[in-house]
Amino acid sequence: MVNVEDLRNEAKRILKEEKVKYIIGYTKSQNGMMPTPAFIKESKDVDQLIWNPTCIHNLVKFLVDEKRRKHREKKPDERPVGVVVKGCDSRAIVVLLQEKFINREDVYILGVSCENGGVIDEKKLAKKLKGKTAETITQDEKGEFVISTKEGKVKVSGEEILAERCLECRANYPVIYDTLFGNKARKKVDDPFKSLDKLESLSERERWAFWKEQLSKCIRCYACRSACPMCYCDECVVDTINFAVTADTSAEEKAGKIKWIEKSPISSENFVYHMVRAMHLAGRCIDCGECERVCPLDIPLRFLNKKLEKEAKELFGYDAGFDPDEPSLVSSFKDEDPEDFIR
Amino acid sequence: MDKILSKKAFPQWVKKLQPYRIYAPSRDNGIWIYKDIDKPEGIDLDFLTTALSAKAIIFPQREIFLEFEQTNESVPEINEVLPKDEPTIVFGVRPCDAKAVTLMDKVFGGDFEDIYYWKRRKQTVLVGLACSPPPSPNCFCLSVEGSPHSKEGLDILMTDLGDRYYTESLSKKGEEILNLGKGLFTQPKAEDKKKKEKIHADAEKQVKRHIKDLKKIPPKLQGMWDSPFWDDEAMSCLRCGICTYMCPTCHCFDINDEIYASSPPKGKRIRTWDTCQFPDFTMHSSGHNPRPDKASRLRQRIMHKFQYFVENYKNYQCTGCGRCISKCPVGIDIIEVLDKVRDYGA
Repeated sequence: MVNVEDLRNEAKRILKEEKVKYIIGYTKSQNGMMPTPAFIKESKDVDQLIWNPTCIHNLVKFLVDEKRRKHREKKPDERPVGVVVKGCDSRAIVVLLQEKFINREDVYILGVSCENGGVIDEKKLAKKLKGKTAETITQDEKGEFVISTKEGKVKVSGEEILAERCLECRANYPVIYDTLFGNKARKKVDDPFKSLDKLESLSERERWAFWKEQLSKCIRCYACRSACPMCYCDECVVDTINFAVTADTSAEEKAGKIKWIEKSPISSENFVYHMVRAMHLAGRCIDCGECERVCPLDIPLRFLNKKLEKEAKELFGYDAGFDPDEPSLVSSFKDEDPEDFIR
Repeated sequence: MDKILSKKAFPQWVKKLQPYRIYAPSRDNGIWIYKDIDKPEGIDLDFLTTALSAKAIIFPQREIFLEFEQTNESVPEINEVLPKDEPTIVFGVRPCDAKAVTLMDKVFGGDFEDIYYWKRRKQTVLVGLACSPPPSPNCFCLSVEGSPHSKEGLDILMTDLGDRYYTESLSKKGEEILNLGKGLFTQPKAEDKKKKEKIHADAEKQVKRHIKDLKKIPPKLQGMWDSPFWDDEAMSCLRCGICTYMCPTCHCFDINDEIYASSPPKGKRIRTWDTCQFPDFTMHSSGHNPRPDKASRLRQRIMHKFQYFVENYKNYQCTGCGRCISKCPVGIDIIEVLDKVRDYGA
């Protein structure tokens, strides 16, 4: 079991010794059960840090912000930033290292093992509680989850409330870390791509109809892009100004730039957006599930990324985000790479 | 005009409203969205907060202004496109969302009348449903001059009395659609009225969240433009558009020409929603961006709602629906932010 006091003590130590600039972790929110990201700058505040199965966010996204902020500063503080990561989140750090977006010395990794658990799926939880409000969720010794509500305690199995990705997770403890909290026993997963079965059993026509209906709901708030730690481009193809404009850029240059995608939230444009996003994450997505979690219209975006993760695995034997010394899938090739699917 | 409509008779009334296009809350897995309804069975009036508010019907995310086509060498042909003549009814409008429409009226009316907005607005009948209990744990309508049974902006207010609806007609448009259901409605008895009033009073007690001393906030904000407060508050912001796109009062838009063929040119001029939370929202043609970071964008959202709008229209630009709180991926809570603003430096 992870003892949150160990995490707080280590946080206190590295802040006191001025080893890190600040620590990105989870804290209790003022309202409701779900935590919020916390940015702890002083050792006296470490008691704000929490760890439990509601710590759902992938905090690695904030390393992207940190890099931008540092870039703007004239004399930046070169110390690393501490970040609390789960197994899946740590794989995002590996990808950022592989792609040289960050350096290993930029980050102090406080790894937390999910052991035989994971994080909850808020929608599953709401269904389970049927209108009741959860106050806390903990995991007991046997691995069962205990949900406390005003009306009493409810015991449920992991399958009933854990996020789908946690049930298919191959990195239940961080693959890279400076300090690890909790134990290092790999959880057995029979089929990491099981959630795709249903969609894969559909015909091409049925799948088209499924995605057409789902993507028609998209309002292009870009929360899926914003929450993704891999979406770090300064210029995104979907923004109306998707190229660097300076005072010297001529009107002709501006007019001559290709607009790849229109702002209208109609089927064709929504498809382009989601296809671009999915393709840019092929061989990079580490299945933290943030895109799907944040979608306000409940579009099952994880399927798209999971399918491409499976393709990378089956075609190239590639697993994203496990080995920082391995080159990334899309920037390397091997002589034996298959090509029979290239038409 | 107050009437009673039994829940059994409700589908019959809807059937009699056929000349209208009808939108109503409809369940889509775990969320509710307004759908274009062709059968009364699709209506689910036992709903929580809808994902998007009725704003999306009166001020759609995509509005075509005009179409253009170069038909010969010299003169491009331009055709104005106006919203269709299409009388519309929206069922299940929450009082906060109806009040939000009255705030948009101020923006799209005033010095310049937006013909697209008003065409839709005038032909739309808003049928409200009083909240009992409040549909979201983050509802705070009472703090922003609203209530779970406010009539502002509505043409009809329905209150669920269990097996029947207490139906209050509040405008000529409302009366017209009540008259289409002649024979289905009965006169309310004194006890119906009493029951309705009790439900309204109880609902008020169940609103859990409140902003204290909201009046102190607009003057306080005036001195906080350069405050480091915004940097701290925005640390966890992801820069997505959820808070503003889900907001029933946010009304910013962008206009683009969408080109479908370049030679000869053919395309449409289209208005879409836009949001102050996106990096390109205030991007100047020179490359300068006056709101370069997320702190300045969060500040804009708060100041627009609780300072500029108050200065311009004497109203808060927020009706307490709670969507921005419930849907924020990182839990940025507008009530907490305002509490901190009020107490900042004290």
